[in-house]
Amino acid sequence: MTGRHAAIAVAILAIAAAPWILATPYWRGILVLCAMNVLLALSLNLVMGYTGQLNLGQSAFFAIGAYVSTILIKSHGWNFWLAGLVAVLAAGVLGLALAAFAARLRGHYLAIASLGFAVITYQVLLNWEDVTQGVRGIYGILPPVPGTTGLFYLVAGIAAAVYLLLDNLVRSPVGDTLRAIREDEVSAASLGINRAAWKAFAFGLGAAIAGLAGIFYPGFVGTLVPDAFGIVESFTMMAMVIVGGMGTMIGPVIGAIVLTFLPEVLRGFGELRLLIYGLALTLVVLFMPGGIVQAWTALRARMRR
Amino acid sequence: MPDLLALVVQQSVNGVYLGCLYVMVALGLTLIYGVLNQINFAHADFVTVGAFTAFFVATRFATRMLGLPDTGGYLLSLIAALGAGAVLGILVNAAVFAPLRRQGADELRPLIATIGVSVLLENGQLALFGPIPYQFDSPFARETIRLGPIFFSAQSVLVVAVSVASITALYVFMRFTFLGKALRAVAQDRETAGLMGINPNLVIALTIVIASALAGMGGALLGPVVVLTPFTGASLIVKAFAIVIIGGFGNMQGTIIAGLMVGVIEAFTVQYLGSGLIDLVVFALLLTMLVVRPTGLIAERKEENV
Amino acid sequence: MIRATGLNKSFGGVRAVHAVSIDVPENSIFALIGPNGAGKSTLLNLLSGIYQPESGTLEFAGHNLIGLPAHRRVRLGLARTFQKIRLFKQLTLLENVLAGFHIHQDAPFWEHVFRGNTGRFRNEARELLAFVGLEDRAEERAGALPYGKQRMLEIARALATRPRLFMLDEPAAGLNGAEVEFLLKRLEEIQQRGVTLIVVEHNMDLVMNVAQRVFVMDHGEPLFEGSPREVQANPSVIEAYLGGEFAP
Repeated sequence: MTGRHAAIAVAILAIAAAPWILATPYWRGILVLCAMNVLLALSLNLVMGYTGQLNLGQSAFFAIGAYVSTILIKSHGWNFWLAGLVAVLAAGVLGLALAAFAARLRGHYLAIASLGFAVITYQVLLNWEDVTQGVRGIYGILPPVPGTTGLFYLVAGIAAAVYLLLDNLVRSPVGDTLRAIREDEVSAASLGINRAAWKAFAFGLGAAIAGLAGIFYPGFVGTLVPDAFGIVESFTMMAMVIVGGMGTMIGPVIGAIVLTFLPEVLRGFGELRLLIYGLALTLVVLFMPGGIVQAWTALRARMRR
Repeated sequence: MPDLLALVVQQSVNGVYLGCLYVMVALGLTLIYGVLNQINFAHADFVTVGAFTAFFVATRFATRMLGLPDTGGYLLSLIAALGAGAVLGILVNAAVFAPLRRQGADELRPLIATIGVSVLLENGQLALFGPIPYQFDSPFARETIRLGPIFFSAQSVLVVAVSVASITALYVFMRFTFLGKALRAVAQDRETAGLMGINPNLVIALTIVIASALAGMGGALLGPVVVLTPFTGASLIVKAFAIVIIGGFGNMQGTIIAGLMVGVIEAFTVQYLGSGLIDLVVFALLLTMLVVRPTGLIAERKEENV
Repeated sequence: MIRATGLNKSFGGVRAVHAVSIDVPENSIFALIGPNGAGKSTLLNLLSGIYQPESGTLEFAGHNLIGLPAHRRVRLGLARTFQKIRLFKQLTLLENVLAGFHIHQDAPFWEHVFRGNTGRFRNEARELLAFVGLEDRAEERAGALPYGKQRMLEIARALATRPRLFMLDEPAAGLNGAEVEFLLKRLEEIQQRGVTLIVVEHNMDLVMNVAQRVFVMDHGEPLFEGSPREVQANPSVIEAYLGGEFAP
């Protein structure tokens, strides 16, 4: 347990120090983005990595979190936190809806259905202009706390809390159950596991966490347009989970950090951000399916010999 | 001809034309699934590559450098796109599908790998060609043929002709040649086919080449009709998947019927809905399909195999 | 213990199971045999809930099973293993067995979120591993085990659900002589702990030595039922197997 406590201490220190090490407004913005990506990667990892469900539509829940909260704040004058709570719940409910499909579908069918889910959500956001302003976008959105540094601490703090709760969850019998479903659904059922219910749980919780990331996004960017929530976002999340190491807790965190910072570090390659993601994803899947975590474990094992 | 009937016939003609385009794209997808049990997420991007290849061959190479007339240039570009698709298929098979098959990977990893390839292709082309749409004019698109009150462009005739020719050629190939039968054997039962002396890897490679070539040529036919950007193919993915699922994965006839169906539906509704909402309608249809009959309209229901 | 009448199940026009009625006495070892394609596995799938029959009745210890999904039957006390081993290959032996304790988890949800693993069933899981002789390999990956031991692990995992009725689909397939011996002894022991066993098998040694009643199927239909000795002597059974493992 002390190993875990030490890791938590290090994480807290790192979060506290980060905005002072990367002390320009630009880099602090990247930090906020990184924290959001960590949340998103954790959410997708719960569904894909631990429950084994191929979900390509996670961006839909990110979008719901962003839009529901923003609309409640802007058009109805709600308080940020109340609006955020409702938005997270809305995302969770939508996640349950997707789970209804997931219960019956496997592999490719689920992948395409979830993709369709994301596309439909995007089209609704785009075309329901009365409510969402469609392509015109919603402007002048304020973050819940002033200043980038404050926002970073808020989002990173929430991400850390979510990480700890999820970590507890996957180490518990709930985690065993999800992993069983991932490994072999039929024998999971033969052990009394209600697959449909647990998939719904995973999808719902994953969607809610993605929605949670979503409520901070509009305030960070200042404006809200549907284009930020397309298939590309889903693929990006997936790249982070897989490059980091799907099915582990720390993997998505690493993946999110690496894929957020890597394009920045390779200065002048800003527009090729997605190209890097695509390349990283393909190479990892081909040669190192367990991602960075696998590479690290293999390296440590080799050093021990 | 009474007006309403003329309208219906006109839209049906348009629908068949669109449908043929979609079939060219979706057929490759279903072929690959039939033989590999895998979805090639990058398939629609092969279409884009085909379209760009055709564009450059038609506008730069054939007419300027070879001095061919416009029509000849365009036809040449079709062949070039076919070739480009084939080459791309060989590359992706060698780099992605074959190694993963050797590793005995499950169905998840190849799917994700093709997603990676798709992102690579899209953004690679974005880097090469930029985001601004290209104007791909086909000389056939300018010619209009009139049959009574019905209008269609020479391009649509070309598309239908090429599609029908391709599908017929494919059909003949599958039914009557040895390789074609080998393909069907591998699609049905890879292990047994291997035991009967068929080299599944070769057959799979061949299938992917055919499928990708079809996609490439589809792109060449599609180029003049749509807005040509690096993301042209991606916008088709929705419909391509829907068609393959509705028709049944791996089911060629089903895919053809479904493709024509989607084309006709689009022709009739695009006036009222616009293309974005078309996507929505098609996908809503798809999702309904998945709930009601996941194995497609045509295929049989299969119980879980324990 | 479990009773079925007139079960019917077809797949695309092929009658896999037709007009099958069985009655398994409590705490017995009941064998289900028949040539390949006889429908034994299908029948087992009907009993365990992977398939629903088209018609017929199915009752277990007073509960009607028709329409009840597979995972709910496990809570009633039905457990099974599979003909093709379906372990969680990437998980350790211990994790595999722990998965079987799922239905006994009654801790409230928030306990999991805030306190994580309470390790309640670890000891019992280890005991089960010891029962099948695998306790010293508890932390190994299940996929790394040799075939025979994988089978025993599957049994240990199914036992974690604390079944009243345990159904095994060809447990001896691919096992060598010593492993079959071991399996036999384990099955007898499971029976002595009060569990009813249904065993689908090809291997006649297993059936003869261990079963109290034998049910023979052929082409999806019931052929004969009786004690092992009766079954062995029955001419139509011998004919159905024609040249099989029967010694006339």
